[in-house]
Amino acid sequence: MELIKNNKIVIAVVLIVLVLVVIRSSGINHFKNDAKRLAGPTLEQSNTITREQASRFAGKNLIINMDKDYKSVNEITGEVQNITADSILCKKYVNTILKHNGSVLLSSSEPGLSARIWMILSQMGCTNIYILTTSTDNEVFKYKFRPDTLMH
Amino acid sequence: MNPREKFSVGLLCMGMILALLPLSGSRSFTVKPQILLSEVLDDNTYLTVDQVAKFIVSEDSSVQIIDLRTPEEFRTVNIPGSINIPYSKLLDNDPGTILNNGKTVNIFYSNGDFNSNYALAISKGLNLKNTFVMKGGLNEWFKTVMNGNFSGERISARENALFETRTRAKKMFTVMNSLPDSLKLKFKQSKLLAAKKLDGGCE
Repeated sequence: MELIKNNKIVIAVVLIVLVLVVIRSSGINHFKNDAKRLAGPTLEQSNTITREQASRFAGKNLIINMDKDYKSVNEITGEVQNITADSILCKKYVNTILKHNGSVLLSSSEPGLSARIWMILSQMGCTNIYILTTSTDNEVFKYKFRPDTLMH
Repeated sequence: MNPREKFSVGLLCMGMILALLPLSGSRSFTVKPQILLSEVLDDNTYLTVDQVAKFIVSEDSSVQIIDLRTPEEFRTVNIPGSINIPYSKLLDNDPGTILNNGKTVNIFYSNGDFNSNYALAISKGLNLKNTFVMKGGLNEWFKTVMNGNFSGERISARENALFETRTRAKKMFTVMNSLPDSLKLKFKQSKLLAAKKLDGGCE
């Protein structure tokens, strides 16, 4: 007791710093540290899969349909949840995604929307989350440019 | 407890706190998730290829077009006036310095829709404003601007304006990308000089 009384200023300072450290390291805005590492799968495009690839996934799939009209994904077995993009960060949905023991598949007719939602969820620490796509050549240039050779 | 012991205990506590600190060399999202979600769901962050074509034709200096493809792809073909920041390098340096936070309109594009939208979500997550994506990427640009045409007997005034913008953007794209690499920079400089002369300024 005597020791605490004699060192109350030191203890108070240490406690304040400790609280600040805990707040900082727990991520008050719910995003995990190291955005680049969390965005890693997008560099190899390992976060996008076709329906055929998804059908080969072992374990239970959670399909998150963000479209108003859901087109059934016959090839893939799993639980389907209709969640609109603007409500995807509701606590119950985030908990469902975070606690899901298996792959989470984002389904939307809008590839840009899926990409944006994927980035937010993965930065919040969701792993095993994939974007369902119709093809594997999403980022392939499909045209050929013919230079104008007469202009020189 | 003598002062030396007090100092030692204080030092030990600080050491423990430092050990608990996350390594802060890495960047993380700073915006609150709900705010970020509302920003990425904003339809205004999508620009059509026609809107981008308009920026290119008007040579708007407040607009920065960012090509997220690899340097090899960029060298082969790119949108006139665009700069190359490969998606894989976006988070290597401070994106804020590149994106000139709050000062310009930054438009991301890649071949398709994925990389540009990842980049948009990252930039918004890092609280960088004025970022947009060109919907459909370079594939959509080729489909609409380079290979698109109007059909039908009558053309409305709006369609005509659109057609004119596309034609001019297509011409600029073809001229720029037909030049050898050594002349591309000179071409850009001569265009800037011509624009300055038109404005009445001097070099």
